[in-house]
Amino acid sequence: MGDPFDLSAGWLEEHLLIPMLYQFGLMNWEDVSYSWVLFALYGVAQVAVTFAVCLPLEHWRPVERWPDNKAVWVDVAYTVLSRVGVLPLFTYVLFYRAQVFVSGWMTDQGWVPPTLEGLFPVLLGQQMITFVLYAIILDFADYWRHWLAHQFRWWWALHSLHHAQRQMTFWSDDRNHLLDDVIAFVWFGVIALLIGVPPLQFPLLVLTLRFLESLSHANVRLSFGWLGDRLLISPRFHRAHHGILGAGDRSCNYGAVLPWWDMLFRTADFGRDYVQTGDPSGEEALATGSYWQQQRAGLRRFARTFGRQHARHGS
Amino acid sequence: MRRLFLLFCLTVASPAWAGGIAFIVNSRGPSISVVDMATLKEVSRIPTLREPHHLILTPDGHSLMVGDTAGNQMMFLDPNTGEVQKRMPVADPYQFQFSPDGKLLTVNGLLRNQVDVYDAASMKLLKRFPVVATPSHLTYSPDSSTVFVSLQDSDKLVAFDLRTMTEKWTVPIGKTPAGVLWLNGTVLVADMGTDHLAQVDPATGKILALIPTGKGAHQLFLSPDKKILWVNNREGGTTVSLDATTLKLIRSYSIPGGPDDMDFAPNGKIWITRRFAEKVAVLDPASGSYETINVGRSPHGLFLNPKAPSPAVVSSR
Repeated sequence: MGDPFDLSAGWLEEHLLIPMLYQFGLMNWEDVSYSWVLFALYGVAQVAVTFAVCLPLEHWRPVERWPDNKAVWVDVAYTVLSRVGVLPLFTYVLFYRAQVFVSGWMTDQGWVPPTLEGLFPVLLGQQMITFVLYAIILDFADYWRHWLAHQFRWWWALHSLHHAQRQMTFWSDDRNHLLDDVIAFVWFGVIALLIGVPPLQFPLLVLTLRFLESLSHANVRLSFGWLGDRLLISPRFHRAHHGILGAGDRSCNYGAVLPWWDMLFRTADFGRDYVQTGDPSGEEALATGSYWQQQRAGLRRFARTFGRQHARHGS
Repeated sequence: MRRLFLLFCLTVASPAWAGGIAFIVNSRGPSISVVDMATLKEVSRIPTLREPHHLILTPDGHSLMVGDTAGNQMMFLDPNTGEVQKRMPVADPYQFQFSPDGKLLTVNGLLRNQVDVYDAASMKLLKRFPVVATPSHLTYSPDSSTVFVSLQDSDKLVAFDLRTMTEKWTVPIGKTPAGVLWLNGTVLVADMGTDHLAQVDPATGKILALIPTGKGAHQLFLSPDKKILWVNNREGGTTVSLDATTLKLIRSYSIPGGPDDMDFAPNGKIWITRRFAEKVAVLDPASGSYETINVGRSPHGLFLNPKAPSPAVVSSR
């Protein structure tokens, strides 16, 4: 029995994409399309699993109920666009090419590009173990990316689109400004290059981490208990990060999947309970606008940071 | 007496070829499947670093070289056992071949857009030719003076003079040039964007003829007796045989699942990797039927070593 994703991707490649590419004289895209369709399938599966897990949870014990959840539909569009289309294509194509270029250049200089398997040969062929180790390292890197996004005014202006949602659900993880997404992809990509993440594993790692991040955004009263909350980020823990800050409050809980980094660097707060989410400092379009209205509002806020002095922000 | 009779029966009844190992490179595994040629079963898998694609035997026959592109590594395996002999850093080794005189090794760096020529004995890089796009397949002139490389994401075929280490010519050849093969004083190029091979004059690069084979002509191989030219057609999902002298189509076989590389077994059967199906087809050209072997993800290059002891014997050592 082969890998069902790989076989499905192969079937689609053979029966749909190659005939299409051949018809339009684009057979030079054959290799790229084969990889894209695989990661797009992973994306579809991941959205389906997220939906199957999170939706019942949100119906079971919602933190909030809204008479009108129109704002959530924009988040659905973000998710589908990101996980099925853009994310698989960019993470694979761009990362793959960058990886080949950088590591090939290093090889030419006589340096062996770094890999976990190179440092620890016992890991060669242990794909599941290396996958988990790479995921932990990338999550650590993401903690710092996220923390920095809250420290710089211009970065916060972009990132505030993510925080503007008052109706936070599991769909909200992907509601990001395009520029913020680009920064995140570059950040992830560079770290992944430095530690030698296999190019074929990288999109899968991103999708896996994103599944757990979706869960942490879910509109559900769910904690993993005293110990569980310290092992894996729960919806309760991450909601505290999205909470509207009162006087004297400091932003907290920057981690994406593992709370370990917040605990280690003293940014964890396990005490805040199911707070209200949103960012009152941003214009309304960031919260309830259409996709493009949100993007434009984010860009306006970003541009304004270069014109005026603002207080450092951390929602 | 009974023992003598049994020995006689075994000697007579056993075919001349009764074992051997097949190595199948699973690009997305990333791994190499070791297959028992007698039972057509995968017996083990050798892990590789990132993304291996092709493999060749060294001129002395002592090693099987496997190129790991994204791993920037050349793996050397014992062709009789599959044991890893050594690993060597090499930038983006996609397709590579030794020159017919065994003195040079040309390595196509598909994604780095480079063609590297190494001294085969020392593995010292002699020359790097930057190219416009994705050098994929290659073939040499029989006197080892020229190497011809298809540039898959362009419409071009390039020829490099290996004596002067200079480019001889670059010519447009079709839509998506892939497999290349020297045959009877000409160079044949499979054009994956069309349904034919281009027959090219090696001196000038001029196209002499177009030979129809099937949609998405991808890779081509000459049978061991040099009488039949075999071509795999990616879009059509077919493998076709052509008369190697007249280049006339003999027969077409349906091989679904993206037929790619092939190798020839001593029993006349042809092993073909089916890239999109995680399988290898073992085609009987006489009947047109094929058996199937399950291997890893995206099987690409393959190599048959019928002289190797059976993998069961190897593993019991």
